[in-house]
Amino acid sequence: MAETLEFRIRLRRGALFSLDVAEGVPLSGITALIGPSGGGKTTLLRALAGLERADEATVRFREQTWDAPGIRLAPEDRHVGFVFQNPALFPHLSVAENLRYGARRREVKSYDAIVDALDLGALMTRGVADLSGGEARRVALGRALASNPSVLFLDEPLNGLDTARKAELLPYIGRAVGEAKVPALYVTHSATEVATLADRVLGIAGGRLTGWRSPPARLRAVVTSVTGGLMRVRILGADPGQGADMTLPLVARMGETVGLGLPLDSVLVSTSDPGRSDASLCLPATVMGTSGGLELDVFGQRVTLARGGPHAVGARLWLSVLRVLPRPD
Amino acid sequence: MSVWPAVFLTLQLAAVTTVILLIIALPFAWWLATTRARSRPLFEAITALPLVLPPTVLGFYLLILMAPSAPLGGLWVRLTGDTLAFSFPGLVLASVIYSFPFAVQPLQTAFASVPRPVLDAARTLGASPRDAFFSVSMPLARRGLITAAVLSFAHTVGEFGVILMVGGNIPGKTRVISIEVFSAVETLDYRTAHILSFWLLALSLIVLVLVYAFNRRGGAGLG
Repeated sequence: MAETLEFRIRLRRGALFSLDVAEGVPLSGITALIGPSGGGKTTLLRALAGLERADEATVRFREQTWDAPGIRLAPEDRHVGFVFQNPALFPHLSVAENLRYGARRREVKSYDAIVDALDLGALMTRGVADLSGGEARRVALGRALASNPSVLFLDEPLNGLDTARKAELLPYIGRAVGEAKVPALYVTHSATEVATLADRVLGIAGGRLTGWRSPPARLRAVVTSVTGGLMRVRILGADPGQGADMTLPLVARMGETVGLGLPLDSVLVSTSDPGRSDASLCLPATVMGTSGGLELDVFGQRVTLARGGPHAVGARLWLSVLRVLPRPD
Repeated sequence: MSVWPAVFLTLQLAAVTTVILLIIALPFAWWLATTRARSRPLFEAITALPLVLPPTVLGFYLLILMAPSAPLGGLWVRLTGDTLAFSFPGLVLASVIYSFPFAVQPLQTAFASVPRPVLDAARTLGASPRDAFFSVSMPLARRGLITAAVLSFAHTVGEFGVILMVGGNIPGKTRVISIEVFSAVETLDYRTAHILSFWLLALSLIVLVLVYAFNRRGGAGLG
């Protein structure tokens, strides 16, 4: 039967907010639910987990009915691993006891693989109050996974961490979710967060779903402007032909123009077309001058790299950009 | 004259009252802290009444309630053959009502400060509401529980007006320390009054210092 989480939920909170959504989410890999703050992401996730009372709810998980008229399965019977925005660890228990809390109640014998995947071994005897923000998130994720959930709900699990800390934690999430082989619903307002993780992306705003968006993949895009370390590209789609082949660290729609940070110090210059590579994108360029660094023409835009080299004016070069950054917003 | 009967009676009354209070106050405080019922302010006000009513007023109503002609007093006489007023069970009932806010309020505050997401986390990890109460709410509210117990005990020890109204001044039966001091002063036995007053003062101070020190340390630990 259908490996999906199907839901139809309607609820109202005061005069200002209402949620009215219906969708079927495939239960494989990571599905990102993305939208602005106050758009209903958290409320939807909580309603699905049975933590929020809805005016009208029909939720089916695989063959199991979670909500229907007259039926409301208790949160503890849904086997949802929930990772909350603030880690919501048990402050009176150690890290090991936090992990054991769910595992014991679900009769999970061993969760060593999760402890390893999240590097929690060294933290086990620590008290929760002594953990750093990043460590607490890892423990919260570990606690949810150790209870052997049927599905994982992540509610902005990196909220409140700085960019460096987020970049550090993202691979952990991917690894742990892969290790536990559990489908995940990942709620966030940040497209960059899900770009490296999500298999599919569902938009939500103003309490309504706004449809599926293309997951980050290798796309064709046209560079529309490059100024210093900032580049704007227009997304064309996956068809080869026009534009440059690139991997973008964000979720975008066809035809959309997005801004990207272009770290000019992580650009490799080659004199022949490198073809398909691990680089995020490869841009053809023409040498315009060499007096004040390497002056290049990239798609009609003037870019100056702070380096010299034996390049003749008019020569054809290829710039491999190892990693483009999400627009600093 | 020996002060020991009064001391033992006081300690016995305070101990029994505290145990009964905690049994009643725990579920009630939890309900107050978590309910969304619109009647909550009414119940909170009733709980706080003993704080503002003069003990004589409270004692007067209790005395009326305990009279053998009243339903409660009459029932008690039929069940035990003894009157509720001027007896130890009467003192316990009066003390439970008089010290009720001192047991409920610390517990209510403690339960209300247990973060909602932490309880939600317990539920998603497989805990029933009852399981979550004992494995999460109670441990996190344990400082409130200890404060409630100590304050209930201390407040019962320090009670005077209600006891005088409901229990009178029967040596060995209803004469507690505070009333012993009153009697001693009336009969110009200042020595007894001095000894009892001093010890009550010293013990009360020690208990309160311990409660505050404990709460302070706990607050820092949660940080």
